[in-house]
Amino acid sequence: MAEPLLKVRNLKTYFISKEAQVKAVDGVDFDVAPGKVLGIVGESGSGKSMTSLSLMRLVPGPQGRIVEGEVTFEGTDLLKLTERQMSDVRGNRMGMIFQEPMTALNPVLKIGEQIGEVLIRHRRVSKAEAKKQSIGLLRSVGFPRAEQIVDEYPHQLSGGMRQRAMIAMAMACQPKLLIADEPTTALDVTIQAQVLDLMRSLKNKNGTAIILITHDLGVIAEMADDVVVMYGGQVVESATADAVFDDPLHPYTTALMESIPVIDQDRERLASIPGTVPSAANFPSGCRFAPRCAMAQESCHQRMPELRELKPGHYVRCDLV
Amino acid sequence: MVSYVIRRLLGLIPTLFIITVIVFSLMHLMPGNAFQALVGLNPHIKDAAKVIAQRMANSGLNLSWPQQYVNWIVNLLHGNLGTSFEFQQPVTTLIGTALPNTVTLALTAELIILIIGIPIGVFQANRVNKGFDISTSLFAVLLYSVPGFIFALFLIFIFSFTLNWLPSMGTVTAAVPWSGDLGDRIQHLILPATALALPSVAYYTRLMRANTLQVFFQDYVRTARAKGLRSGRVLFRHVLRNAIIPITTQFGFDIGGLVGGAVILEQIFTWPGMGELTINANLNRDYPVILATTLIFAVMVLLGNLIADILLASMDPRVRYN
Ligand SMILES: Nc1ncnc2c1ncn2[C@@H]1O[C@H](COP(=O)(O)OP(=O)(O)O)[C@@H](O)[C@H]1O
Ligand code: SF4
Ligand SMILES: [Mg+2]
Repeated sequence: MAEPLLKVRNLKTYFISKEAQVKAVDGVDFDVAPGKVLGIVGESGSGKSMTSLSLMRLVPGPQGRIVEGEVTFEGTDLLKLTERQMSDVRGNRMGMIFQEPMTALNPVLKIGEQIGEVLIRHRRVSKAEAKKQSIGLLRSVGFPRAEQIVDEYPHQLSGGMRQRAMIAMAMACQPKLLIADEPTTALDVTIQAQVLDLMRSLKNKNGTAIILITHDLGVIAEMADDVVVMYGGQVVESATADAVFDDPLHPYTTALMESIPVIDQDRERLASIPGTVPSAANFPSGCRFAPRCAMAQESCHQRMPELRELKPGHYVRCDLV
Repeated sequence: MVSYVIRRLLGLIPTLFIITVIVFSLMHLMPGNAFQALVGLNPHIKDAAKVIAQRMANSGLNLSWPQQYVNWIVNLLHGNLGTSFEFQQPVTTLIGTALPNTVTLALTAELIILIIGIPIGVFQANRVNKGFDISTSLFAVLLYSVPGFIFALFLIFIFSFTLNWLPSMGTVTAAVPWSGDLGDRIQHLILPATALALPSVAYYTRLMRANTLQVFFQDYVRTARAKGLRSGRVLFRHVLRNAIIPITTQFGFDIGGLVGGAVILEQIFTWPGMGELTINANLNRDYPVILATTLIFAVMVLLGNLIADILLASMDPRVRYN
């Protein structure tokens, strides 16, 4: 594998208050290869969003804090940059889109201004030039009436169109890495497919690497080159997408795959994993999946398993495989 | 936008009509009668009953209420507010001198409120729960919970009586060469406008602080930061641009309230405005003046609401496009 674009090592992001210490991200490691799609999958509450916000250093303060780790992007540890240096990276070499296109755009500013300000900030273009380029960007994400859309406001667009506008904004400076946190979760199924297609074609055209965060393994199967499975703020399995789907090793990954919706007698059924994700304020002391794991033994409750490389490039956090 | 304003203006007409009916009815429900006060209590007038009847007839007060109302409205539409019973002057003349004084006072107070309240609220939100926030928040609660006239007396005592820096009476200094200069007028404005503004400054500070804090946690602010925008641009273009919207609405609503609030302060500062005129007219049952001043207060409130709506529409596209 070529030198990774992004290397995350032992990343820990906690919410620290007088009452509790919430270990939202608790020692996460993974790599993103240039131009590839890394899928991060896991149930709600497993720490995916906080991991992605940590990469951008946008963890909600003052309680949320990156307490440890390294985030090496294009050879620089982002956690060592000043806030000002970090803001030169954001939106420029690293873009991000969010789950809720409804609330992620500023309701009182025109679409054109919201896209254009990225170009003005990082490319130092004039207002007129920014508007011209915004129209081009909107067209490249599939808006037919781009000249009019630049002068419209977010509430005039549908959810799918807003997410396209978000993508245009995040891609404005042709970043090397796009972080997409559940970009299609809030959208209709048909629109979901269109947005994923758009992301794939932009990736192929610009060579942008993508971190695609989702709780939907179907999306991962369709898009990802590599996969990280998260549970309880930790990576429990990471490998190439082929390896994860053909030969899942961690009991949690297996359980997730069995919970993919299946068409059963004309109705869709979600065979969900019994039990709930443990609270990040109060993890079990041994393996975090033990309370729900079908294979759990006595020893699993005693000792936290390490992430081990069981096959070349295939890492698993389980002592019993 | 223009059509929006025109629609709103037309919408005011029925409201105005209803207000005239209410104002008129309320006044006639007040006990007492203008000429009882002016004539009946004057020992030099013999045969008071006859004089009262005569003057009531001259003023049209012997007509039926509906007839009186129609007369009033017809005159009103001709720009004629009647003649004051007490001063024997056209009401328009009395209001022509009083209203500008009150509006000047109220607008200056609004200016003070906005210039002080908004930045303090923003600073507080920006450094929430730090020293500046906590100390100014306590001060704001104090300001807000003490009635305005107490501050008026307090300000007069310190800046006028003790330090002798600023005048506390009237709009101009009498019998000096610079009487009525801009500087002279501004000096006279400072204390009453500050007293009128102080309680609202506190309120606006709280409002701005709360709005700003709320907007800080919106997704689109995170988006703005994720784009790498400098913190100044995030604050002004994304946070404040949204946080200011409820303030502008409040500003419009408060215009009517401030004009009303000026009534008491005008007494304290002997400010020759609507307050003095209104109180006098009510004590003396000077019907034409009561009708006119009450109507003007009501119109101020309506106008304020209109301004609030227009400001809101100009700041928030979601309102404008509905
Ligand atoms: N602002 C916050 N304060 C305290 N805990 C938080 C906050 N935001 C998230 N968390 C906790 O961090 C954990 C991970 O959350 P998140 O990264 O949003 O999960 P995911 O995106 O996988 O659904 C959860 O247990 C959540 O309760
Ligand atoms: S360590 Fe034990 S409990 Fe944890 S996943 Fe493996 S088998 Fe299950
Ligand atoms: Mg999430």
